[in-house]
Amino acid sequence: MRKIKSTEEIVYQVFVNALLLLTLLIVCIPLLRVITMSFTPIKSGRQILGGLLIPFSDWSVAAYQQLLTHPAFLSSLANSMIILVLGTTINLLLTIPLAYVLSIKGLPGRKFLNILVLIPFLFNPGLIPTYLVVTKLNLIDTYWAVILPGAVSVYNCFVMRGFFEGIPEDFKEAARIDGAGEFYILRRIILPLSKPIILTVGLFYGVSHWNEFFAPLLYLNDTKLQPLPVLLRNILLAANVNEYVDTNAMSAAPIQSLKAASVVLTTLPMVIVYPWIQKHFTKGTLVGGIKG
Amino acid sequence: MMARKSIVALLVALVAIGAALPAFAQAKPVTVTFWYGAAASEAGQPPADWKAYQIIRDKLGVDLQLVQLPSTSSDQDTKINTTAAANNLPDLFQVNRDTWYKLAKAGLLAPVDSLLKQMPTRTKDRYSDAVRNKLVTINGKMYGFAEPGALPGTDGFVIRKDWLDKLGLKVPVTIDDFFNVAKAFTERDPDGNGKNDTYGFCGYIEPLSMAQQGLGSRFDAILGAFGADSTWDISSAKNFGLKVRQPGYYEAMLFLKKMADAKVIDPDWATLKKDDFRARWKQGRYGMMTEGYAALAMQANYKDFDTNFPDGEWIAVAPPKGPKGLSSEGPFMRGTRIIAVSAKAIKEGRGPAIAKLLEWMATDEGYYLLGFGEKGVNFDLDAEGLVTVAGIDPAKAYTAKPQAPLLQLKNYVYRNDPAELKVRYVTYKTVKGRTIDPLAYWEAFKKNPWSESTGALVINPPANAADFWRFYTENQVKFILGLQPLTPETWKQYLDGLDRLGAKDFEKAAKAQVMEAGFIK
Repeated sequence: MRKIKSTEEIVYQVFVNALLLLTLLIVCIPLLRVITMSFTPIKSGRQILGGLLIPFSDWSVAAYQQLLTHPAFLSSLANSMIILVLGTTINLLLTIPLAYVLSIKGLPGRKFLNILVLIPFLFNPGLIPTYLVVTKLNLIDTYWAVILPGAVSVYNCFVMRGFFEGIPEDFKEAARIDGAGEFYILRRIILPLSKPIILTVGLFYGVSHWNEFFAPLLYLNDTKLQPLPVLLRNILLAANVNEYVDTNAMSAAPIQSLKAASVVLTTLPMVIVYPWIQKHFTKGTLVGGIKG
Repeated sequence: MMARKSIVALLVALVAIGAALPAFAQAKPVTVTFWYGAAASEAGQPPADWKAYQIIRDKLGVDLQLVQLPSTSSDQDTKINTTAAANNLPDLFQVNRDTWYKLAKAGLLAPVDSLLKQMPTRTKDRYSDAVRNKLVTINGKMYGFAEPGALPGTDGFVIRKDWLDKLGLKVPVTIDDFFNVAKAFTERDPDGNGKNDTYGFCGYIEPLSMAQQGLGSRFDAILGAFGADSTWDISSAKNFGLKVRQPGYYEAMLFLKKMADAKVIDPDWATLKKDDFRARWKQGRYGMMTEGYAALAMQANYKDFDTNFPDGEWIAVAPPKGPKGLSSEGPFMRGTRIIAVSAKAIKEGRGPAIAKLLEWMATDEGYYLLGFGEKGVNFDLDAEGLVTVAGIDPAKAYTAKPQAPLLQLKNYVYRNDPAELKVRYVTYKTVKGRTIDPLAYWEAFKKNPWSESTGALVINPPANAADFWRFYTENQVKFILGLQPLTPETWKQYLDGLDRLGAKDFEKAAKAQVMEAGFIK
């Protein structure tokens, strides 16, 4: 039998729904504006709702065309993908064992190790020492210069450690009694149970690598190695400074449309991937965040 | 006998090797790294098989390693500062003035006076401007090459001639004429479309340099009528200081407020961006403005306006004269690109190689190859000896986008002489058959009065620059919009506010810097 809600509950529900709707609008309106802007042609067209929408017949793909047909677009995209896949793989290969070790309760010197890992998180050496290390290791103009300095994020490691600590100790004890080593336990017991946190931390790392901009600027002198964010920014800047163009390499789209199209292109891969791992995301962050 | 023959053969072989060794040592090219500012930031570096690399290696004995600097000044500064801190500066690099100054003071840059003598052609062509050289001089020594920067005086005052003709008006001469014309353009439907959609004037806030803070270059023609067109008065050591303290600046604010109150300026001016401003004049909204000659008249930029208004015509006119007879297009600055040589490069003996490279770039061979590509492939010379793409495969022409990586160093070879400018800024015909020559606007702007302000480029920003300039600009905008009353008392409060933010110390430091560079004595 359907439960009859009291007036209070109804009012409360209406209030919560209204609040959520407002939040949705606050989030969606700027997003809609960006998408509309990315399809706005150089000639000022008719605007709906103060520029939030334009008639579909006025939509122009000139901004996307200009970006996607750029000669360096595919190579920059490939560079970004390489940095993303290679970087995330290395991040996880290093973070998982470290987090697991720090989660072993009976490990001698565990407290000391945790402090050792925490120190660089609290006291960042800064840009110059990092640059010196990268240069001395001859990593300039290689993908490693972008991947290795940030190979292990202490924050992500601690989130993962918290998740591992939440796995019942009985599983590990039973395996140890049967003679299993720690590596076996990690591989055959911990990892299969840790899909949420691996996907979560992997997403954190992946987004960071996809948006990588400053490190390539500093360490990748060869423009053939530049990832997508660097190329998109250069295209925007070139379109903006168009006074002294001698080659008629003019922007076909307004600069605001180019910026909006760049935002859409850069965020699109993450938007596509996110729904597949969304269900793991909340669980992973929550559990990892509570423990430890 | 056999033994003697063997000894002789051995001796001959040793002598031959000994003679060959120095030649072998000389044959090894000297590596010179050059961090350059790209002519087209999106286009990427020249390819590995670029002909210039081979020529430079074979003729000069220099193995040139090019690295493209990031596109923005701040990113360039970060990259250079980081490598400087690691004592890893490249041999030759383009650098912004603020960073250049710090590196020079830290002893990381080499004086280049001795190198100038080793490249006489380039020095005569590019490093002989005494004013520009002051920008790279500290205590009488040059710590970099003051390359010619962007063309100076490119932005000027223009007016819709077709609107003047339609309304039977003359070109405004005084600031009062300017106001009356602006009012007519706003109220009398100069485009005849029956709508109230035109404004006499518009600009947008664009502080560009230390000499153009506050409202920026788009308002210079109006500010100039009151002597307020540059941030700094650099006319003499006695008068040096922020122009905002001068009575003319207050009068300029009163006039701009009058324009805003009369609604003869686009009410969105305070929030417009460059892109919006340009879209709007192409839509025929404005009758007068300050605009760059290339942004106005290059074919690719002009075509939308031409399509919308085939009878529309912009002409360059003298900026209006103020009550005291003053007028100005704005601050005139000989912009420069600074190329510095690291002290490390000179210490390691690469100075002569650097001089050879730069001198070669000033020869005809270097000029054409770096500026236009290969003759017969990317360009040709017409009967007058001017560069042309007639008869060249369009895909390989130097003007084609795919060739942009080959021309990344063009800014270091372009001479900006009339022949070259004629090639770079071509004339064309409008929809109605009228000939437009972009350079004609520039020539017209040059004839109008300007305020010499190159010295302002040596002024370093204060530590609280962001706060200072925000206060400086926002209050001026509020005065004009009427968001705060504009009276002598409130103006004094504004100046006092600037002083509280360190204006006096800023002026004192700025004066010392300008004097150190030799712009005022």
